[in-house]
Amino acid sequence: MRLLARYRFFYSYLASVVLVSIVMFRALAVGANSALYRDLYWPLQFVTLVTGYGILLEIMNHVLRPYPGADRFARISGLAAFAAIFCFALIAPRIMPHWSGGTVIEFERDMRCVQAIFISGLLAVIFYYLIPLGRNMKGMMVGYGLYIVTSLVSLAVRSYAGTSFDKIWEIVQPLSFDLSLLIWLVALWSYCPNPVPDHTIDLEQDYEALVARTKSLMDAIRAHIGKAARA
Amino acid sequence: MISLIFFLCIGALLFFCLFFLARRNPQTEGSSTALVDARQALNTLQTGLLPVGLVQRVFAKEDWDYVRSETPRSIHELFMDERKGIAVLWLRQVAEQIGNLRRFHRGAARHYAKLNPRVELQLAVSFAALTGACRALQVLVYLGGPYVAPHMVGAVANAAARACRMSEESIAFLNAARMGVLAVQRSHLAAR
Repeated sequence: MRLLARYRFFYSYLASVVLVSIVMFRALAVGANSALYRDLYWPLQFVTLVTGYGILLEIMNHVLRPYPGADRFARISGLAAFAAIFCFALIAPRIMPHWSGGTVIEFERDMRCVQAIFISGLLAVIFYYLIPLGRNMKGMMVGYGLYIVTSLVSLAVRSYAGTSFDKIWEIVQPLSFDLSLLIWLVALWSYCPNPVPDHTIDLEQDYEALVARTKSLMDAIRAHIGKAARA
Repeated sequence: MISLIFFLCIGALLFFCLFFLARRNPQTEGSSTALVDARQALNTLQTGLLPVGLVQRVFAKEDWDYVRSETPRSIHELFMDERKGIAVLWLRQVAEQIGNLRRFHRGAARHYAKLNPRVELQLAVSFAALTGACRALQVLVYLGGPYVAPHMVGAVANAAARACRMSEESIAFLNAARMGVLAVQRSHLAAR
């Protein structure tokens, strides 16, 4: 219950996946090639894709909240990345006529690409500002990140190779999600908050630092005087 | 094909990021001792490693000219080896202290709500360029001797001095901010 309260967006995503799976299972019972299944597949896939962005929001909220500077950097660079992607989406069809974004598969591939860029940017900020991650957050990022990598690569290959890739895709896609579920199961078994560093500097420590600095300066001066005396 | 390569590259980038994340040590960094380390690093750089006189002395070609003209060949090799050792050590120390300053800056800047991403990017590039130049110079000195790239030594020393000035400003800012907090705490205590 504690985990549910702490990671609302993440569990909303999982709930949406479960619900979509139940609906799709019912539709599949009618027939894999039925109109109902075909009509439902991509809209529901899109629902899970959108709720997946909630995981990114969850990660940003939990990991960067104690660090206003890093949070600001991540938000501004996220907005810049979004603007760049938006401009690219407008310009790409004009400068690269072969670049297709027309089919549903290509649309999902592009959306996964945006997620991959956002996660990579977020990880770059985390690495650069030496932000520590707890087990829960690390697992959430690794699990979702792996799923995005697999989805992105398989969707890109599928849109390039066509239906001949479908057999591999049907195996790889569920396997990667199972792997992510396994990672989440281990990482989110119990609540483990993110470590928060102590950035307050109190007077005693300042005094100690001052004493240490003065001592080292005194030693340096003593050594210089000794050298001068010997010369 | 271009779109396929593009998406594969993005996928590979994220995969490597996740790989490094999985291997990362979860310890916390950026505690209050970082400020003390930064001050010491700054002090070491400004007073111990970067004074113009010292840099000129370590890389002085006149010393080599003098030794070459006045001493036998066996002394030349000894002098060159020792001077090379000193130069490599100097570069290693400069790189290490710059690393300390960079760590301190990142540890402190992440808490600063008015952080300027453009300045942060400039700083990141400056620090990376400086560390890269130090490493490159270490290799050059190790392979070609201490007098192989005199201009580069000067450039590294100047860039390091610039980085010191920037870090000095950020430490001064932290001191001022902390003093403000202490003043507020003191006024609260007095009010009670």
